[in-house]
Amino acid sequence: MPELFHRKLERSAIGFVLAIIAVASVGGIVEIAPLFTIDETVEEAPDMRVYTPLELAGRNIYIREGCYACHSQMVRTLRDEVERYGPYSLAVESKYDHPMLWGSKRTGPDLARVGGKYSDFGMSRILSPREVVPESNMPAYRWLARNSLKIEDLPLHLEAQRAIGVPYSEEMIENATRDAYGQASPGSDSASNVKERYGAETQVRAFDGVATNVTEMDALVAYLQVLGRLTDAAFEDTAAPEEPPEPIE
Amino acid sequence: MEVEERDPVSGHRTTGHEWNGIKELDTPVPRGVLIFLVITHVFAVTWWFLMPTWPLGTTYTKGLLDVDQRAIVEQQLVDAAAERAPWIDRIERASFEEILPNEMLMSIVQSSGHQLFGDNCAACHGVDGRGSANYPDLTDDDWLWGGDVETVAETMRVGVNTEHPESRVAQMPSFGRDGLLNREQVNSVAAYVYSLSNPDYSTSENIDEIEAGREVFLTSCAACHGANARGNQDVGAPNLTDAYWIYGGDLQTIVTTVHGGRHGHMPTWDERLTNAEIKILALYVHSLRVEKP
Amino acid sequence: MVSTLTTNERLFALIISALVSICGLALAAVGRQDLLAAQGFIIMVFGLACVFAVAQGFYEPEPSKERLSSYYDDPIKVGIALAMAWAVFAMFIGVWIATLLAYPELTFDQGWASFGRLRPVHTTGVIFGFGGNALIATSFHVVQRTSRARMPDQLSPWFVLAGYNLFCLLAITGYLMGITQSKEYAEAEWYADIWLVIVWVTYFILYIRTIARRKEPHIYVANWYFMAFILVVAILHIVNNLAIPVSLGHAKSYTVWSGVQDAMVQWWYGHNAVAFFLTAGFLGMLYYYLPVRAQRPIFSYRLSILSFWGITFFYMWAGSHHLHYTALPQWVQTLGMTFSVMLLVPSWASAGNALLTLNGAWHRVRDDATLRFIMVAVVFYGLTTFEGSFLAIRPVNSLSHYTDWTVGHVHAGALGWVALIIFGSFYTLVPSLWKREHMYSALLVEVHFWLALVGTLVYVFAMWNSGIVQGLMWRTYTEEGTLAYSFVDSLVAMYPYYIARAFGGLLFLLGAIVGSYNIWMTIRATPLTSRREIDVPQSGAVVVPGE
Ligand code: HEC
Ligand code: HEC
Ligand code: HEC
Ligand code: HEM
Ligand code: HEM
Ligand SMILES: [Ca+2]
Ligand SMILES: [Ca+2]
Ligand SMILES: [Cu+2]
Repeated sequence: MPELFHRKLERSAIGFVLAIIAVASVGGIVEIAPLFTIDETVEEAPDMRVYTPLELAGRNIYIREGCYACHSQMVRTLRDEVERYGPYSLAVESKYDHPMLWGSKRTGPDLARVGGKYSDFGMSRILSPREVVPESNMPAYRWLARNSLKIEDLPLHLEAQRAIGVPYSEEMIENATRDAYGQASPGSDSASNVKERYGAETQVRAFDGVATNVTEMDALVAYLQVLGRLTDAAFEDTAAPEEPPEPIE
Repeated sequence: MEVEERDPVSGHRTTGHEWNGIKELDTPVPRGVLIFLVITHVFAVTWWFLMPTWPLGTTYTKGLLDVDQRAIVEQQLVDAAAERAPWIDRIERASFEEILPNEMLMSIVQSSGHQLFGDNCAACHGVDGRGSANYPDLTDDDWLWGGDVETVAETMRVGVNTEHPESRVAQMPSFGRDGLLNREQVNSVAAYVYSLSNPDYSTSENIDEIEAGREVFLTSCAACHGANARGNQDVGAPNLTDAYWIYGGDLQTIVTTVHGGRHGHMPTWDERLTNAEIKILALYVHSLRVEKP
Repeated sequence: MVSTLTTNERLFALIISALVSICGLALAAVGRQDLLAAQGFIIMVFGLACVFAVAQGFYEPEPSKERLSSYYDDPIKVGIALAMAWAVFAMFIGVWIATLLAYPELTFDQGWASFGRLRPVHTTGVIFGFGGNALIATSFHVVQRTSRARMPDQLSPWFVLAGYNLFCLLAITGYLMGITQSKEYAEAEWYADIWLVIVWVTYFILYIRTIARRKEPHIYVANWYFMAFILVVAILHIVNNLAIPVSLGHAKSYTVWSGVQDAMVQWWYGHNAVAFFLTAGFLGMLYYYLPVRAQRPIFSYRLSILSFWGITFFYMWAGSHHLHYTALPQWVQTLGMTFSVMLLVPSWASAGNALLTLNGAWHRVRDDATLRFIMVAVVFYGLTTFEGSFLAIRPVNSLSHYTDWTVGHVHAGALGWVALIIFGSFYTLVPSLWKREHMYSALLVEVHFWLALVGTLVYVFAMWNSGIVQGLMWRTYTEEGTLAYSFVDSLVAMYPYYIARAFGGLLFLLGAIVGSYNIWMTIRATPLTSRREIDVPQSGAVVVPGE
């Protein structure tokens, strides 16, 4: 009789504790472990690149400001989402995202495909939104253009990322600070190296419109501009109306 | 072992235990709960058979229905495209002259254009298309590149100052910063430009400055904005004599413009929107203007 | 407080506090180039404050041996006060962010005051500050009473309480400064996460040691739930927060999980934070204060078994219902959906068990606002779990996900269930702890009840409406097969609801303030009870667990 068994169980604190652990562990193990063993969970995308140091710094600002509280980065497999935002998101697109930023609330629109949608200046203007869209309830992020970006410790950031599996090369780590500066300073000596290291499609610009300094706005816009553009995989065999974005510049 | 005790209200036996006054009844699990349990389990197990469900090491059970959320949405997109095909084809093939008088097509332009404009253009030009500082008003009569529907569609397709190979290029030089004009000249030409749309500004006191500004204008600016300052849509140079301004028509902003130059950037929509969508938007922008009193 | 500690314990307390402040100092030093310095400073000040508090009472006389024949209630009292303080603070932030969504310029151009940073301050403040302190306080009370045993020592309850509040403080000041891992409900950074593990393990050991001293051989249901709450939250917390700090001198860390696996781990955590923090813990509370207040035996012991193990087992599978239609493989979504449906059975079994317990006490529900708090909480619990299982069905979720409907569901649970059960329990607990005849004002309890109920209803109805409108607008097509509304159209349609929600939240907040005042006045201005209840541990031999 199960009940009698339970009467016994509930007289032993240790037994009860062990039972709880056993019963509560099953679900998580069955659902999480196979995500590492079933290969098709994360699609193949040979053209997938890692974030440049500047983009990574921008991602950290995105996290810091809590943009994920209002914006998802996940186009679901639903007709209206694909038609509004673009091809549905693939798992591989967030393969290097520690942590992922799929979000759980859309007070603002999805941002998974916002990269390349607007000019840099348009993007930075969106960050003081009511000047352009009076209906918006997004906070104004004016301080981002005032704060200069902290870039000296970017090598440490890349190293930490490498430790958890993001394939940054030794060279990338060593030059992280210079690359961050270069990507936001077109024409500088460091600028061309960025493309060399991260691929010809990497955008090198004065993202905030001012070439002489590297601000937090530079980093954030660089990150927003690369959203959905680390790989073209999502554009390949989906019936989405769009074509893959052409390389810029 | 335990003393039997019954609850006077329900008549059920207690379990015989007591924790600081709290007791429990030994009521059997109500039948309804068990039925409910069975129903939900039957549902779940059925679902497991039909749908992809159980992981098996390096693969998983695919389910009898063999459904896949990605295949489903892709089919839906194909169906949706087929559903829209009749009028999409017509919009794609017809010229703007043919579409404009066609009420049926224009009503589609209105509804679809509203959404496309709101999701793609409103971030810069505002929900109503009226622009704001730095972004042109698309509902007025003042056009940088031309307001007929073809030209608007072309502007959208290639953008302004983009990386598109055919991009329109708009370059208002930075006269002050680059030392093309000295400070005095910048101020005077700005005063002149300001006076064009504000005739009252010119008084006997500043008439000399404005005259000097006119000289500067004719040598430095007329090449693009025209001797009469009415602009030139070939180079995207705006009309400076009317009341419509992108960056602002007050004296201070004009000084800033002449000093620092302008380099507006309108994205290209070639890759993001389909041909038909660009046409719809061009017509929609056109209709915004028509509606304006 | 210090006077109730033995000399040994005082010494330990001093050492621990000193260690904490030294750790704080060390963090501040290695992190001087970083925001970590500020966090280290907070830890140091907190540690020094504790050193100071202990030192002040260090030479007070030892507590008498008699203490051992009574329950140890001091930490519970402080826990209640902290919970109410957090409630008022965090719900004020809730009202603020609700207002921000309607009037976004209220940020004064300050980073810390923007929506994205304040939102986790609100969620952490209510769930961990308010909910967590209430759980710790009531669990200390329940475990002692149902075991008829005093807690084994005087120091570890204080360590748990103070340590836990240090965690909350670090988390919240961190978010304001921009320190966050962005993992919902686990935003705090690595050093705070590690600290919480230490605190939590102590909590678990303390709990188990108290249970081991119990006088009734059988462990009462409330303690099953509290144990599940403590244990599973520990597992969830550790797995979800595995991360690598950029360096020991950086507050920033990178989660070891990435992409789709991270999404699954995060929502396995997120959903079960709901299950074991916001549900299991509070069911523990319910299982004690409901029968006590209603003066009725629990309706069915057997139903309790079914619901307890059902909840413990099924909940852990349901997290993937937060990821329907995403890049998470569909097989996991099927599991999440089906287990969420099955989960409704044990959930409703608990709610039904509670409501049927009230049979024979309905006249009390009518007359006693405190019992009504508990009763309505149970109704909202039933409602929220039904809604949750419904939202977990894929097609329904395709509409509700990402919209305010989720927020409506959350607050039906958070306000209607979590907050109301806490208030009901506190109104039961406060007079008995402080040995008062009754609460200072029954009328104010009544006022609080109606403010809370109306506030919850306004909030939840506003969000149901806005969520469904939003979801429908996003997917409405014209006859020609094109999308009918732009995103901004849907945003414009939200404003009336956002204002209504802020108003509902304000009512709820006012209720919490009234409640705090009432509790305060009960402690300060209500005469001691003349009744002599026997509220002491049972003396005699400790029953050996397992016996
Ligand atoms: C309070 C909610 C909120 C927060 C927080 C928020 N946003 Fe937004 N965001 C919105 C809303 C609403 C819109 C749509 C209206 C508009 O264009 O302003 C929007 C639009 C945008 C857009 C334009 C998207 C498009 O496709 O048109 C971008 C880019 C954007 N936000 C980026 C950010 C970034 C980066 C952050 C953080 C630094 C952020 N947002 C924080 C609410 C928010
Ligand atoms: C990133 C901001 C941005 C977005 C998004 C944008 N535009 Fe523009 N648009 C501009 C700017 C800036 C100009 C002015 C360019 C210049 O200075 O020459 C412009 C110019 C135009 C013009 C030319 C106006 C004239 O006077 O000739 C048209 C037409 C236009 N936009 C239509 C659209 C449409 C339709 C969309 C949406 C599909 C759109 N724009 C999206 C920034 C934007
Ligand atoms: C090489 C061509 C060129 C020359 C020369 C030129 N402009 Fe322009 N100007 C433009 C273009 C193109 C724009 C629109 C820029 C944009 O929209 O980004 C413009 C914009 C302006 C504007 C802003 C109009 C508004 O709506 O805000 C002013 C004012 C102006 N020019 C004044 C002058 C003056 C004064 C001179 C001479 C000192 C001058 N321009 C010389 C090309 C020129
Ligand atoms: C005064 C009462 C309250 C108000 C006005 C309020 C307001 C809010 C607001 C405005 C949000 C953000 C929603 C969004 O992003 O659109 C939110 C989120 C949240 N609140 Fe509250 N809140 C209140 C009380 C509570 C309580 C008591 C709890 C828990 C015990 C709670 C738990 C949460 C949670 C978990 C979220 C996150 C929801 C999600 O991510 O979907 N809130 N609240
Ligand atoms: C049977 C029980 C329950 C089930 C099956 C359930 C299911 C769900 C589902 C499907 C969502 C929406 C996920 C999404 O679309 O993003 C959700 C969100 C949520 N639920 Fe429940 N729910 C249950 C009970 C509760 C209870 C009792 C609470 C108590 C407060 C609660 C709190 C929350 C919170 C906080 C979220 C928001 C998570 C986030 O996105 O941040 N749920 N739940
Ligand atoms: Ca959420
Ligand atoms: Ca954390
Ligand atoms: Cu959930």
